[in-house]
Amino acid sequence: MLPTLRTITNGLKRSLGLRSIQTTSVVHHESLFVHRDTPEDNPDIPFTFTTENKKRAEAILAIYPEGHKRAAMIPLLDLAQRQHGWLPISAMHHVAEILNLPRMRVYEVATFYTMFMRKPTGKYHIQICTTTPCWLRGSDAILDTIKKNLNLEVGETSKDMQFTLSEVECLGACVNAPMVSINDDYYEDLTVQDTEEILADLKAGKKPKPGPRNGRFAAEPLGEPTSLKGEPPAAGFGIRPDL
Amino acid sequence: MITTKILNLLFILFFSCQCHSARTVTCDRKMAHQTIRQNLKQVKPILSLDKEEARKRVLSLYKAWYRQLPYIVKQYDIPKTAEQLKQKLREEFTKHQDIKDVRVIDMLVIKGQMELKETVNIWKQKGHLMSYFKDTWEPKPTDFLSKFLAGKE
Amino acid sequence: MLRTTLGKVLTGGSLSPKRVTAVVRAASSQTGKKPEQIEVFIDDIPVKVDPGTTVLQAAAMIGIEIPRFCYHERLAVAGNCRMCLVEVEKSPKPVAACAMPVMKGWRIKTDSEMTKKAREGIMEFLLINHPLDCPICDQGGECDLQDQSMAFGSDRSRFVDIDHTGKRAVEDKDLGPLIKTVMTRCIHCTRCIRFASEVAGVDDLGTTGRGNDMQIGTYVEKMFLSELSGNVIDLCPVGALTSKPYSFTARPWEIRKIDSIDVLDAVGSNIVVSSRTGEVMRIMPRVNEEINEEWIADKSRFSYDGLKRQRLITPMLRDNTGELKPVDWEAALLTVAKQIRNAGSSIGAVAGGFADAEVLVAVKDLLNYLGSEALCTEHTFPLDGSGTDLRSSYLLNNGIAGAEEADFVLLVGTNPRFEAPLLNSRLRKAYVHNELDVALIGPKVDLRYQYQHLGDSPSILQQLANGQHEVNKKLKAAKKPLIIVGSEVLARPDGSAILAAAQKLSASTSPEEQNWRVLNVLHKVASQVAALDIGYTPGVDRIRELNPKVLLLLGADDGAIEKSDLPNDSFIIYLGHHGDHGASIADAILPGVAYTEKQATYVNTEGRAQQTLVAVSPPGRARDDWKIIRALSELLGAKLPYDNLNEIRDRLEEVAPHLTKYGEAETANYFKQAQELSKGIKTQLDNSPFDVKLKELSDYFMTDSISRASPTMAKCVQAVLKQKQSKF
Repeated sequence: MLPTLRTITNGLKRSLGLRSIQTTSVVHHESLFVHRDTPEDNPDIPFTFTTENKKRAEAILAIYPEGHKRAAMIPLLDLAQRQHGWLPISAMHHVAEILNLPRMRVYEVATFYTMFMRKPTGKYHIQICTTTPCWLRGSDAILDTIKKNLNLEVGETSKDMQFTLSEVECLGACVNAPMVSINDDYYEDLTVQDTEEILADLKAGKKPKPGPRNGRFAAEPLGEPTSLKGEPPAAGFGIRPDL
Repeated sequence: MITTKILNLLFILFFSCQCHSARTVTCDRKMAHQTIRQNLKQVKPILSLDKEEARKRVLSLYKAWYRQLPYIVKQYDIPKTAEQLKQKLREEFTKHQDIKDVRVIDMLVIKGQMELKETVNIWKQKGHLMSYFKDTWEPKPTDFLSKFLAGKE
Repeated sequence: MLRTTLGKVLTGGSLSPKRVTAVVRAASSQTGKKPEQIEVFIDDIPVKVDPGTTVLQAAAMIGIEIPRFCYHERLAVAGNCRMCLVEVEKSPKPVAACAMPVMKGWRIKTDSEMTKKAREGIMEFLLINHPLDCPICDQGGECDLQDQSMAFGSDRSRFVDIDHTGKRAVEDKDLGPLIKTVMTRCIHCTRCIRFASEVAGVDDLGTTGRGNDMQIGTYVEKMFLSELSGNVIDLCPVGALTSKPYSFTARPWEIRKIDSIDVLDAVGSNIVVSSRTGEVMRIMPRVNEEINEEWIADKSRFSYDGLKRQRLITPMLRDNTGELKPVDWEAALLTVAKQIRNAGSSIGAVAGGFADAEVLVAVKDLLNYLGSEALCTEHTFPLDGSGTDLRSSYLLNNGIAGAEEADFVLLVGTNPRFEAPLLNSRLRKAYVHNELDVALIGPKVDLRYQYQHLGDSPSILQQLANGQHEVNKKLKAAKKPLIIVGSEVLARPDGSAILAAAQKLSASTSPEEQNWRVLNVLHKVASQVAALDIGYTPGVDRIRELNPKVLLLLGADDGAIEKSDLPNDSFIIYLGHHGDHGASIADAILPGVAYTEKQATYVNTEGRAQQTLVAVSPPGRARDDWKIIRALSELLGAKLPYDNLNEIRDRLEEVAPHLTKYGEAETANYFKQAQELSKGIKTQLDNSPFDVKLKELSDYFMTDSISRASPTMAKCVQAVLKQKQSKF
């Protein structure tokens, strides 16, 4: 939409003989790649792993040999994100401390991977795939449903910190399109009605069953299998008779 | 023109001296010597025929300058008094008091007249007159200390 | 990007991969035959190289320079700018020359159609997101991107976005008072990041984000503060990082460049002084592999604005009311001469940190003529044992470059990071690449590499000297051990005992090579070695004993001697260039010149004579220091026999021949004798702990009269203090 608008305005300007002197760039990414102190996210907010997670962290560190402990950075950051719901700067500092690394090296990793959420995120992070296969199978309708149901725009978090809606590229479940990923679970083969059910369950505090919603177990054909139904052919199948 | 003549004269003088110093004076050379002497006597005067005449010319030039001085002070508006100019005039004339050659005196008189004319007609500018009052030139420092104090080191 | 060295630097001692690599190294050195050279063809020219040589290095061997942005020979290979792509025969794609080791028989084409096309393409990509602001960019005229786009870029443009809808824009970062950032110009070569993490050891810079959003910065609001930070300005191939004090002041084609020597520490870094209209515009490093490689410290680079402030520009005399009044040279010299004549032989001189060899020898000649031997340096050095008679006891004998090869270094009472940042960068280099172990006796300071802190008590040094310390084993086992003693602890009352202990300790080591010098002394000021070479007495004790009627301060500003140390009627003459401590107590001021304004000799801490050259003319009525002494001598009737630079240099050569062998480090000798003599030292170590003045970065910036007068250095101190308040 936005690019079209820009093309139209530019065309208009050109026909009127106007030249734009606007120099700000197109925003390429919704998140910021520098840190700004906010009340929710600043280095004064303490962060430590819970006792349980400490044990997990130790287990993670034990996987990596001496001298290569820094490889545990991504698992530890993930652990911190799971504990806190998202990844505050204090958590990055804590990981840097555990690994005995300069903080910058942790910032680099945390900003590189888009699945590290560096700003407050809802309890349920709804990631809806709108890449071609899902889109062909009606992901637009699903997205509209979620927007309406939760009264959220893409990239927003609800005020009660329950839901965050993001639009993402292919999550690798094309055969079960359309789909959404809510936290670690995939909800596939969705219809508008399914989507509303899932959201209602989440709001009620129940955990909806992940997986395909149209009765499939996984990625098998719906209903009867359609191929490879007979016995496998015997040896010599398809070989020239004279051989 | 005049300078070439003077140069000629000098050359001849020099040449004659050379002849004198040579011990082997031949008859021919004596003859040559005499002709040179004659030539010397018959040098063409510039203005004055003798010393007395030259002296008169100098005095009249001096007087002419002297009379103009009050007007010069006024017209040029220079930061000097007529008294100072008189002193300077005297200084400029006495600078040449040792000159005996009538022809040189004449030349200087001619130059002085030219200067006077230029001054009186205000062909000159203030600076030209003030340059008579220029400080004497300091000699360039040569040894380390004077160079140092003069800011050259 | 650099990853291998980082792990080593940053992980704790127990986590260190050092042991692993050490084992690997040992194994490889056992098999240790030099592998055969391989032959490759670059533009059909055959060249034999060692295995592991990169294409770029092989090409450089025969003088073919491959364009590059990210590659830098003193930093790890990154291979991310792709400018060095070249064609290799039978390879379907062009290869990155900086990162690709050559293989046998490769035919590399650095000038083929494919190579040219690759370069054009890369250049086009770089320029798509580079702003076209060369006219307002400080790098303009000395910009790698400009030069290379002229040389290797396409001659036409396909960039049609005149509405500026798609150019990348990145917000600028605040990296402190020295480095100005315009991050939109950045081409992501990551040289600054690699420099910060490898050479400076300050891992504050990094990349954040990915793809088109990637940016170089600190992520959080943090300044890049290091004693070597200015070098990223030279490293930056574009105008993203430029010098803040120099910004918008001059263009490279309108400045005059003069090769000179830095005198703000005892390292003697080689510098280029850029000047325009009689003003120093900036100072940049000059390559000298034996001293500073191609880096210089921030104090050397940025304190030049101190040369324009607080200068003494006219001779001054203290009048009856006790005020210093400007006078002309004649009056000043006559007054001074009168005072000296009245004093007779009761005259002393104290040389400060900026005094050059010429003035030192001139003052010595003058005072000796007047019958005085009270020639002292401001900085003390023990006189017991061999004292300063043998050069071996006061030089950094093994050289600055030699520190790179060491495998064990014991630092005694010194903080090389701030006393000699470039020596510290060598030590750090050895630590990162050469498995160097460092131990330190003295206050616990941050050297930006790990070291074993033995404590700050002199008793530990005593234990070491007696062979009773655990570190003794390491020292003995080391093939190339170094003991670096700071000049500051040697200035203590028990300095001679410290030196004796260090001598004893060095005698107990067994270096592999004959010429390896274990004992090294690190000086803090540029003048000290030359002064000791010429025969000055270190320390001002002699002045205190003599109570001279006239005292001549040669830029002595560190307050080693106070007015209260002298009799009331004494006359103090200050000869120097800055109105600092020395000038404030002086009765007569004779304005000298600073190092950018004179051709003068300095000897660095390793005994290398080097000369500064005249970059700008001295301000006001300031004169060459030695010429002032020469003029004064004439007024005293003791005319010194030299009138020009050549003549005084002849005199220097007479006194100490190495002082005029510029560029060569004159090594010391008589090591054994110095060791033997040190045994006779009776002084005992006392119990007060070792201390150094420069402990933190904020102490580093303002240490002498030039840097104290520099507003930029003051801003640096402010920045460091501000950074301390920060939570990041």
